[in-house]
Amino acid sequence: MTVAEVSTPPCRTRQVPGQPDMWFFVLFESLIFTSYFCVYLYYRAQHEAAFLAAQSQLTLWLGVVETIVLLTSSWSIARCVEQSRNGRYDVARRDAFLTAGFGVIFLILKVVEWVRQIHLGNTFSSGDFFQYYFFLTAIHLVHVLIGFVVVGVAIHQLSSPRRRSQELVETCATYWHTVDFLWVLIFALLYVVR
Amino acid sequence: MTRRSLRDNPKRELWLAWGATVFFYNLYAVVFFLFTHIQPPGQPWYSPDQASTWFTEHHHGLGIGLALIFVFGGLSATSIALITYSIRRMSVSRAFSYSYLIIYSVSAVPGFLFICVALTAGIMRPERSPQLQHWLYQLGFLSFSGTMGVFLIGSLIWMCAILLDGNRVFPKWFGYLNLCNALTEVVVSPSWIFKTGVFPWNGLIAWWIDVVIFGIYTGVFITLLRSMIIREDFGTGPLPAVPAWRFWQSPVETAP
Amino acid sequence: MRRLNRRLLAVWAVLSAITVIYIWIDHSADHHGTAHASSAVTVIALLLAAVKVRIIMREFMEVRNAPILLCRLTDAWIAGMSAAMIGFYLAGRAVAT
Repeated sequence: MTVAEVSTPPCRTRQVPGQPDMWFFVLFESLIFTSYFCVYLYYRAQHEAAFLAAQSQLTLWLGVVETIVLLTSSWSIARCVEQSRNGRYDVARRDAFLTAGFGVIFLILKVVEWVRQIHLGNTFSSGDFFQYYFFLTAIHLVHVLIGFVVVGVAIHQLSSPRRRSQELVETCATYWHTVDFLWVLIFALLYVVR
Repeated sequence: MTRRSLRDNPKRELWLAWGATVFFYNLYAVVFFLFTHIQPPGQPWYSPDQASTWFTEHHHGLGIGLALIFVFGGLSATSIALITYSIRRMSVSRAFSYSYLIIYSVSAVPGFLFICVALTAGIMRPERSPQLQHWLYQLGFLSFSGTMGVFLIGSLIWMCAILLDGNRVFPKWFGYLNLCNALTEVVVSPSWIFKTGVFPWNGLIAWWIDVVIFGIYTGVFITLLRSMIIREDFGTGPLPAVPAWRFWQSPVETAP
Repeated sequence: MRRLNRRLLAVWAVLSAITVIYIWIDHSADHHGTAHASSAVTVIALLLAAVKVRIIMREFMEVRNAPILLCRLTDAWIAGMSAAMIGFYLAGRAVAT
């Protein structure tokens, strides 16, 4: 039985996925975003009618598609880590490119959504709800753009036998998953929360 | 076991610079938060008359506090010099340290000089029209909060250097903390647009949360610079690790 | 290897399904097409998001195979984040009335 076939390894082979340092970043950045979310929810609860009216202008299905696209990109980079762990670097590289591709699709959908909202007259300064909407989606998009650089690092690692640090590939994947789960929270807050 | 005096200590300049850095940031905090009440910032929605009144009410605090900053503000250079030194000690290209030094050489301007000049001009000529006082008030606070490009790029340069470094000058998690700090520089930019809510220059998101992150970041890098100086061996290879208890030693070399 | 690939696909399917459930929640939250504020919808939406985040962390980010400390820490983080968000929302509602 190979390690790959065991779904839960015994305690002694438990390892932190990627650099522990990246986990520090994940947890710290989540805290920062949580503070933004708490501010948003607190203010939203005090101006429910105005927020609801503005929120109704969002397109829920677009948000759902964006979420699924990002979830798929998370799936592909998780596969990339697994393929790399098993020495199948070309396949891993392909999965990493796929991740970046899904990231680009998310980026395009986000820009399309923004343009649509702006055409409806909703801008960063047009009201409380859209202040938060554009702020949260923009700061998240900045993280996605950084994510492209990070995935690029993973691809660079996988490209040459002189590199291929499994720890670095896992670190890059950890970052990308963070971008994904932050969006999961933002989607719930902006599109669904009442 | 012999103890070298500070005079013979090869690290004395580093400790002097570190001490000056600690002094500067403490002075900055005391002056900006307690003396002058520039932080938390004044209200962005003030009318010209209210801005004029703000200057009158803060006249003495601003006068004394900002005079101290004008005298001692140059000490901010020691912090920049130490960080540049730390990047030079890394295994990365010297281009990183030079870029950081050049970009941060202008950091004092948006960092505190602009607001100090604007607000000092505001208090020194109280007979000016409220409209002009209002303009100085807005110029001061907007230049302070809204001009974070230097710190954004500088943090990213330091982050890249740390992540690429093979000499273990700083832990990798601090490289990622630089990214968190760099992102707060982006978050503060809506302060140009808003006068109320959570995004003006004194807003909950654009100021309060950002200041907490910046405070943590500053405390951490001052601590890590101390650790670097303790571990410094004046070589070019990886810095040695140091047992935790040595961290609390006074800055006097202890020969084995 | 194939087992792990199937597992990842299953995880993706579960996460996507939960995402699609949001559409149903969204429709049921509105009475005859008009939107209404609702603590219940908000809390459910946030809890579902927390569940998704935990699944992403445990499965995609491989916390499942990580040292116990990281498992506990991430669980605590998710619990703390959810509690804070729900807490601030309810506090905001209390202050508003």
